[in-house]
Order: sequence, then C-alpha cells, then structure tokens
Amino acid sequence: MNPFPMVWADIRALRWTALAIVTLVALAVAIGVAIGAQERALRRSSAAAAEDFDLLIGAPGSQTQLVMSSIYLQPDAIPLIDGRLLNTLAKDERVAAVAPIAFGDISRGYVIVGTTADLVSRWGRLKPSEGRFFAGEGEAVLGADVSYKLGETIEPSHGVLGHAAKPGQVDEEEAGHRHEGHGYVAVGRLPRLGSPWDRAILVPVENVWEVHGLGNGHASEEAGIGLPFDGQKIPGVPAIVVKPRSVAGAYQLRAQYRQGGTMAFFPAEVLVTLYRALGDVRDVLVVASVLNAVLILAAVLLLLVAVAGLRRRRYAVLRALGAPRAYVLLVVWLGMALLIGAGCLSGLAVGAVFTRAVSGLVEAQTGLRLAFSLESREMLQVLLLFAIGSVVSLLPALMSYRAPVVAGLRE
Amino acid sequence: MPVSALPDGAAQAAAKPLHLHGVRLDHRGGDGRPFRVLDIPDLTIPAGARVGLRGPSGSGKTSLLHLIAGLIVPDAGSVAWDAKAVSSLPIPARDLWRRETIGFVFQDFHLIPELDVAANITLPATFSSWRIDKAQHERAAALAGRMGLGDLRRKARVLSRGEQQRVAIARAVLGRPALILADEPTASLDAEHANEVGALLVEVAREAGATLICASHDAALLARMERVVEIGALTGKPLALAS
Ligand SMILES: Nc1ncnc2c1ncn2[C@@H]1O[C@H](COP(=O)(O)OP(=O)(O)OP(=O)(O)O)[C@@H](O)[C@H]1O
Ligand SMILES: [Mg+2]
Repeated sequence: MNPFPMVWADIRALRWTALAIVTLVALAVAIGVAIGAQERALRRSSAAAAEDFDLLIGAPGSQTQLVMSSIYLQPDAIPLIDGRLLNTLAKDERVAAVAPIAFGDISRGYVIVGTTADLVSRWGRLKPSEGRFFAGEGEAVLGADVSYKLGETIEPSHGVLGHAAKPGQVDEEEAGHRHEGHGYVAVGRLPRLGSPWDRAILVPVENVWEVHGLGNGHASEEAGIGLPFDGQKIPGVPAIVVKPRSVAGAYQLRAQYRQGGTMAFFPAEVLVTLYRALGDVRDVLVVASVLNAVLILAAVLLLLVAVAGLRRRRYAVLRALGAPRAYVLLVVWLGMALLIGAGCLSGLAVGAVFTRAVSGLVEAQTGLRLAFSLESREMLQVLLLFAIGSVVSLLPALMSYRAPVVAGLRE
Repeated sequence: MPVSALPDGAAQAAAKPLHLHGVRLDHRGGDGRPFRVLDIPDLTIPAGARVGLRGPSGSGKTSLLHLIAGLIVPDAGSVAWDAKAVSSLPIPARDLWRRETIGFVFQDFHLIPELDVAANITLPATFSSWRIDKAQHERAAALAGRMGLGDLRRKARVLSRGEQQRVAIARAVLGRPALILADEPTASLDAEHANEVGALLVEVAREAGATLICASHDAALLARMERVVEIGALTGKPLALAS
C-alpha cells in the first residue's frame, strides 16, 4: 500500500488552505520556541557578562541598580563610597584583587569607565586584541565595538542622566557638556566580551576623578596609576569589585561590608532573583503560547474535519476502486500529519529567525550578545505538539475510515 | 479505432459466473419506512457475458451495481462470484475481492483532478503495493495510448469529459479485472464521445475476457451488449428480474 500519491494529490487540492495550516502551526511553534530560547539566551549572556564580578561593594541602596550600572553599564545616579576602602581591601588577605568602577562620562555615546588595569584585563584573563592596556593617565582602552581607532583622541563629555546616548554617535547633548581641556588617547583594544563592556571606553580611574576636579587620589602627579592610592584625599567611587581568594573569604567579606555605611553582595545572587522574575514572566508567556497552540490546533482540526467531510465522495470512489479502509485512513492521517509536521519544522526555523531578530534588538539596546540555541526543552515542546497534532488528526482519519462507501458515492 | 490485442499477454483474473439468489434490497423512504428497491429471485450472469441493465430512473440500477460490487449487502439473499459468497464476506475480505476482481466506471468519471493521466490510471495499483513496477507503468502507458490519450503528464483536471472517461476506463482495467461494472458510463458525454467510449469499453472487456455489466439509458451502448436486462419501473410492487 502506498498512500503517498493520494496524500500528495490531497495536499495539492488544498493548496492555500494547506499553506495556511502550515503557517498557523509554524506560528504557534515559533512563538513557543522563541520565548524559551530568548529567555535562556538572556539568562546565559547576562550571567556571562557578570562572570568577573564576584563581589560588589557600594553605598547602601538598590543592589539591582548597582548591578545594572556597574556590570551592564546602564547609566544611573549612584551614591559614592569612600575611596579609602580600596586601599583597605587591597591589603585584606581574603582579597585576591580589587578594582574601582567609576562612570559618568561619555564620548561619542560610549560610556567611559574609570577603573584600574586589573579589571581591564579581567584579573589577568584577557590580552588586548590590539595595542596595549593603559599604563598612565590620559590613556584609554577601547571595547571591541567602539568606533575610535588606536591613536585617536577621545574627548569626554559629562553624561546627562535620563538621556539615552546612542553608541557611536555624538549628539547635541554630548557636544554641549564637553569637559574642555581633557582628552584621552586610545592605546589598545579589548577582545569581544559579548557584554556591554564592548561599548565602553576604559580609562584610569584617576582621570575620571580629575575630570571632575577631585584630584587624582595620589600624593604626587608622578606616582603612576592604580592601587594603592596614597593621596591625602581619595575621591569616592560608585562601586568596588572584589575578587576574593576563597568562597569562605567571600562570605566573610560580604558579611563585613554589609554594615557600617556600605553594601556588599554577590551579583550572581541579584541575577538569580532577576532570573526568577524572568522565569515567572516566561512561564506566563509559555502558558499563553501553549493556549495559543491549543487554539490553533483546534482550529486546524476543525478545518480538517470539514475538509474530510467535503471529501467523502473522493474517498468513497477510492473504496469503490478497491482501496481498503486502512488506505483511506492513512491518506487522511498522513496528509494532516505531514502538514502539521511541516508546520512544526518551519516553526522551528521561524522561531530561530524570530529569536535572532529579538536578540539583535536586545544587543543594539544593551550590548548584551544573546547566543541562540535550540535545546531539548524546545525540541520536546515541538515534538509534543506534533504528537498531539498527529493523534488529533486520527479523528478526521477515523471519520473517513468509517464513512459508508455508498453514501459517499451518492453525494 | 482498430481492435488490437492488449499490450501484454499476462494472465488475467478469469471471469466467473455471477449468481444472485433471493436478493432483496430495501431503502428507507423519507418517512423512515423501508421500501423495496430490488427483489431478484434468481439471476445468473455467465462468465465473460456483456450485460446491459436498462430501467427508468430510480428503478435500482445503481443499487444493483453497488450490490454486485459488494459496496452494500442485500437485506436478504446472496450475491456470489462462482462459489464465493461475496455478500457474506467481512468488509476487509470484500475490499480485497473488489480490488482483485472488479473494475468500476462511474458516470461522472471521478478522477483525481490533481493527478496526471498516468497517476490516475495507476492509482489502484497503489492500494496493494508500495511501488508501481515497470510492467504496470508500461501497461498504463499502452492503455492510455490505446484510449487515444497521448500526453500522460496532463492533469486530469484539464481533460475533456470524453478524455476523462477514457482515463477512467483505463484505470478500471489496469488490474485486469474479471468483472467490469459501468454505471451509465456514457450519460455525461455527447453522442460522439459516448460512441467512442462505448466501443472502447466493450473492446477492452472482450479482449480481457471479462464480464461487463453496464447500467445505461443509452440505446447505442445497450445495443453493444449481448443481453439487456430490464429493471422495471417501481409501480407499487417491486419487479422481479427474470434471467
Ligand atoms: N441511501 C438511500 N436511502 C434511501 N433511498 C435510496 C438510497 N439509495 C437509493 N435510494 C433509492 O433507491 C431507488 C433506486 O436508486 P438507484 O440509484 O439504484 O436507481 P437508478 O436506477 O440507478 O436510477 P438512475 O437511473 O436515476 O441512476 C431510488 O428510488 C432511490 O431514491
Ligand atoms: Mg443510477
């Protein structure tokens, strides 16, 4: 028995309806796939972006806000903490490395981050992809996506809160707030991190302090840059990143700096809370998309039942020509299963395209690179949908199987 | 059209005598009460005979063909193909018997419009096997050529009515049926096409040695039959068939 010539004829007879069925199923699948894949990609790449930030210390306030502004470089007004803490921490034996993060300036729409070479190299993990890291004041290291070229002069402007700068573009707001007389020379570039830091210009923290008239934190102009800061007055910073030596040390440090006018926390914990919220949102969306898929399947089933009804005579003729009932059952069932299967497959493809499109938007907005991946979770979803669809299409198939031949012939 | 032998001499299912015994068939009227459509005490159609069924509209010609094809079972009596009581076979066995024994030609052809001529002719072969073998393809092509259908790739949808009925005849005889049933095969054709189709039908039946039973109002077609059975008007009492 070979029902495929007839299956093919049936699908051709449906033509646009078949296309509509495939499209509807594809849409249902794509939405489901995109939601799952997008949420996971967001979670993964945001976690990857926070990888080198084990412990954050800042002035008491919102942890989420501090994470957003210091790790994801979303500018915000953050209260400062005493810069002397940097020296204290550097001497602490539980601390492997420590670095400040200071921000507030922009250039060509890129965030300028003041820090030390330690954090620029991500605690020694990274090598520059071009040039070298900064070794003195007035030097700048570019993120992978920054449009400045090595050797170019970078003019900082005061970033205006609530004004969303477009990376790579100088706008009026920026031009009007230029810090006259200050400038950096680009000396190196970082490899791509897939994080907002790809769009940052990293400079010595001393420069950021000086630009704002706070001195450079050192006793003399010739002291060089970086820790320790031996000046009379060490300016404050919005955030301090600590790389602890051990897990136990990390917990002790966090406990210690939770009090006494500072706030200390693991960014990973903040992310877990955010992910939980994100997961809740995803669950709601998944339920919505499942309902959506159920509705679409129901609509498709209704359509197919109607089509099977309209084809009673066609199938009765096959029976009169000698086709067994199983042949008719297979023709109807395979036709529908094929359409639903085609819908599932193209849904995966459309879902991938859709996810990529959304990822592109997210990246444009935040600099977070979202890696698309289809995993067993989505595959299972799609398989389940296909299985349900196939079982459900047995209904019209059985209808045709049981239809009396003569009644069909007389239609 | 010249009478030529079928393309290959492979053995065909041998025609056997058809017996109807004490057959009664009732349908339900609009009021739900059954009325008798057929009452045939005894009818035998010898193997290889060409029989016409004539009768006014509603007299039960189509019903009789359906009965013989095993598409319906009589309310009483039996339909037998030689010694095989077809009317009491279970559905799958009847389907199998029909596939092996019968070629059906309908008044309205009932081709699959989306399939081409070749695929329409070979469609019944896909009921029993996965692949259509070379011999069957060749036989389909030869039958089509024989029916004056040159282009095998044309979709059934675009064929003229006469061409469609010729495809339907080729489809019916592809499996070398021993019994060809035709329900008003010329009724939706103009006189010229009707003549051609009638001649072809009789030719292929004669060559195959198959029994041919044709229900028809068409005097020209009935004239080609060896025998015509009258199925009388329903005038209150059902008419019994005399053989
Ligand atoms: N399923 C059915 N239910 C009720 N009555 C039926 C059914 N099928 C056929 N009949 C009736 O049985 C009678 C015989 O019908 P049949 O189609 O066999 O006649 P026919 O001789 O082929 O007529 P025609 O020449 O118009 O094709 C008609 O009165 C018809 O209305
Ligand atoms: Mg009739």
